[in-house]
Amino acid sequence: MNQILVIAWREVTRLRKRFSGGASPLAVIALMIVIGASSYFLRDTVSLGSGLYRVGVFGDVPSITDTRFSVVEVKSADEGKSLLDEKRIDVFIDGAQVTYREDDKSQYALKSLKQYLETQEIVRVGKTYEYNLAFPLRVGINYLPLNRPAGQDPQQETPPVEKPKETIIPSLTPPPAPFTQVLVALLFIMPITFISIFFTSSFMDEKINRRLVILLSAPVTPFQIIFGKMLPYAIFALFGVAVVAAFTGGKILLSLAIFAPTILFIFAIYLLVPLFYRTFKDTTFIAMFVTTMTTAYLVFPAMFTNANDVSYVSPLTLAVKMYRNEPFGWREYLFPSVPMAGIFIFAMFAGTRLLNEEFLMGYKPISKKIKDAIYLMMAHSKPYIAVPLWSLITIPAVYMTQVVFLAFATNLPFKLILGAVLFGSAMVEEIVKSVGIIALAEHRVISSARSIFGLSFLSGLGFLIGEKLLVAISISMVSDARVAGALFGAGLLLLIPLFAHFFFTSITTFLTIKLKFPYTLSLFITTVIHFIYNYLILRGS
Amino acid sequence: MNSFLVVVKKEIGSVLRDGTIIIAVLIQLFIASFSSALLLGMLSLYDADTILKFGGAGIKIGVVSAPDDLLGSMMSERGLKVFNYGSLAEAESGLYNREVTAIIVVPEATGKSSEIQLYLPDSDTFSSLIRMVIQEPLKQYENHLRGQNGIDVRYTDLKGKPATSFEFVYSVMIPLLMFFPAFVAGSMVIDSITEEVENNTLQTLLSAPLTINGMIAGKIAATVIVAIVQCITWLTLLQVNGTIIKNLIWVILLALIIAALAASFAALGAVFFKDRERSQFVYSLALLAMVSIGTLLNLSPITTMSRLAVGDPYTSGWNIAVFAVLLGALWLLLWKASRRLMT
Repeated sequence: MNQILVIAWREVTRLRKRFSGGASPLAVIALMIVIGASSYFLRDTVSLGSGLYRVGVFGDVPSITDTRFSVVEVKSADEGKSLLDEKRIDVFIDGAQVTYREDDKSQYALKSLKQYLETQEIVRVGKTYEYNLAFPLRVGINYLPLNRPAGQDPQQETPPVEKPKETIIPSLTPPPAPFTQVLVALLFIMPITFISIFFTSSFMDEKINRRLVILLSAPVTPFQIIFGKMLPYAIFALFGVAVVAAFTGGKILLSLAIFAPTILFIFAIYLLVPLFYRTFKDTTFIAMFVTTMTTAYLVFPAMFTNANDVSYVSPLTLAVKMYRNEPFGWREYLFPSVPMAGIFIFAMFAGTRLLNEEFLMGYKPISKKIKDAIYLMMAHSKPYIAVPLWSLITIPAVYMTQVVFLAFATNLPFKLILGAVLFGSAMVEEIVKSVGIIALAEHRVISSARSIFGLSFLSGLGFLIGEKLLVAISISMVSDARVAGALFGAGLLLLIPLFAHFFFTSITTFLTIKLKFPYTLSLFITTVIHFIYNYLILRGS
Repeated sequence: MNSFLVVVKKEIGSVLRDGTIIIAVLIQLFIASFSSALLLGMLSLYDADTILKFGGAGIKIGVVSAPDDLLGSMMSERGLKVFNYGSLAEAESGLYNREVTAIIVVPEATGKSSEIQLYLPDSDTFSSLIRMVIQEPLKQYENHLRGQNGIDVRYTDLKGKPATSFEFVYSVMIPLLMFFPAFVAGSMVIDSITEEVENNTLQTLLSAPLTINGMIAGKIAATVIVAIVQCITWLTLLQVNGTIIKNLIWVILLALIIAALAASFAALGAVFFKDRERSQFVYSLALLAMVSIGTLLNLSPITTMSRLAVGDPYTSGWNIAVFAVLLGALWLLLWKASRRLMT
């Protein structure tokens, strides 16, 4: 513990040295102020379609402040109409009269203008008239069970509701899409990502000036090095989350609980960047790639909060619920958090295995580096333990990839996309199950047909155990259980999927190791077979 | 000049050899397809027109109201299937027999205001869809009640075509695809310059017949070329896909100037900080700050790009000239500051 704290303190000193003196702290503070201030001023004005339409106005027209419209004030109605005919404006408003053309651009402008002007009119009416006159309609929302409750007489209606579950005023109901809340929730991710970039830089820095190698020869374990370096940044990130929660009116403790697994997850991914990079450009591109993927993974499902239960794969959904004052339970909390924590544990394990001089300093093609990394992770114990363990602990990563596919599929019900999802999922599974065995064979740890089949069986077994564990917590959460069933193999006897896993993995490994097929080719063959198997299950159920 | 070309060639060669640029292209492809998938998903769940177009047949509303009440007909006009019932008990039977999916009970008009009851199935997904599609007729009905109270609401009869996809393509997709390569170009320049400094190869490089400004200009030019090739590819793909892009030459020129601006600004950062960590951090922050200031001052390259691409009659080459002037000023500054790298 003491060693971890020493390394953590050393990290804080390094950062302080780097950003003290000269212009850099000033520059950073000034830029942060500019970003904060301008996003505050811009918070209500920026919308999709900024600057696209030109609108001519004449007479008594509400002021148009939406950034989609640039207003052209004209001197007479005739001028407005001739500008419209010349296509120099898209719509012309003369008092309460709106003139437009039949072409697409004018029609799009008209629709957008309608939405904006209606809101303005409601504001005007609300200010001018007494509340009950301005908003004369109340709608009580009540819910009925999907089937008639047992014992209820068909002639008798449900006792009149004394108090509806909620009462709304149609023109004052906010749009149901959680855009705003998702954007606010995204504010939490920004400091986490920025801070994790420093964490990555720190590793790279020490890798370049070879201090890391010196550190490795000291009496500290790789785990202590990684954990010690991560600790201060993790604390900064938690602090950042608390600050964002305080400024946006969220609950601080709840935000910390929601985003702690996300912080671990993002750090886990950024830990792998410095281990694999060869040049600075590598780092930039890998970091960009990782940022895009994680943001997509977090944002996409959250946009469907309350519309689809798959949205719970993202912790942002929980944050959206927090801002909407809607409750959620332990299951909803664990659904996104467990896989993220799982990825973190896996990355820590990988990090401790890969943190050695030979791996860090070698310049090889990236695919070769990945193969080496897998071998290093496998080589810590006997193959018959390492192989099933590998399949078991990579499940969270497989699961996250598949859930991203699933999120696409349940929201976009097109056959083509579903097909691509099933194919992609099958491929990810097959890679994970076979790649360890291939890595061992390349280093000549195994070579006989017997060991290939034996390890394929164990790999399938490890994968099956992991996937069943995950299914236990996830299957009831995923609303489209049919698709989930095919992906995760639920609803079948255990023996059939075990045999299937064994069979698929054996094909890939046998073709590659014994018949010397290129790995990509044997993987493709297996994926096609696996895809057909998944497809048949989907049709059968 | 010759040595400048050698640097450009070497930089482009290293980008192609590393193969990492593929990741950048993949990211753009991913963002583009991902955001359109997101848009499509959002529309199919949250946009009443799209829901009615693709899944409206499944939504059937049972109405219990006085015969002359208008809400039922307003919903029919909107494209919903409406069934009239005499009482709530009958309507409930209809719901349990799957004849209708929701019930609305409208009481007799009682003076200035009215409270109607909506009965939805107890399923989050389906009930939120129903709420979405009846929102518009409910607002219409509310305006009708306002009219009875003597309040006139203007602009309620406008129609038009749903504009979300159009707005998305011109204000998000095209600027994104045109400016993301510029952002990448800046990052690449920082990597390339700071790598020479941190690996101590800068002095060796400068012992060749090459000035420091020549070296920096070569690195900037190489990344801008890579960026502009990506932009032209995206523009071609967009047009093949049926997106009409007006003022093509101006669009490419703006993308080129912005890429050069980002790369030069990044080079300036690298010259000042000389290490990757601080340069990249300040560069990303400064880009964010510049985008927000540009939007505040109504001088945003994003808006200019959208307007050029959509063929706005008030936007032309002069709007691009502003950015060209900025670029000139930045180069002047970089020219003067570059000697810092040697110290």
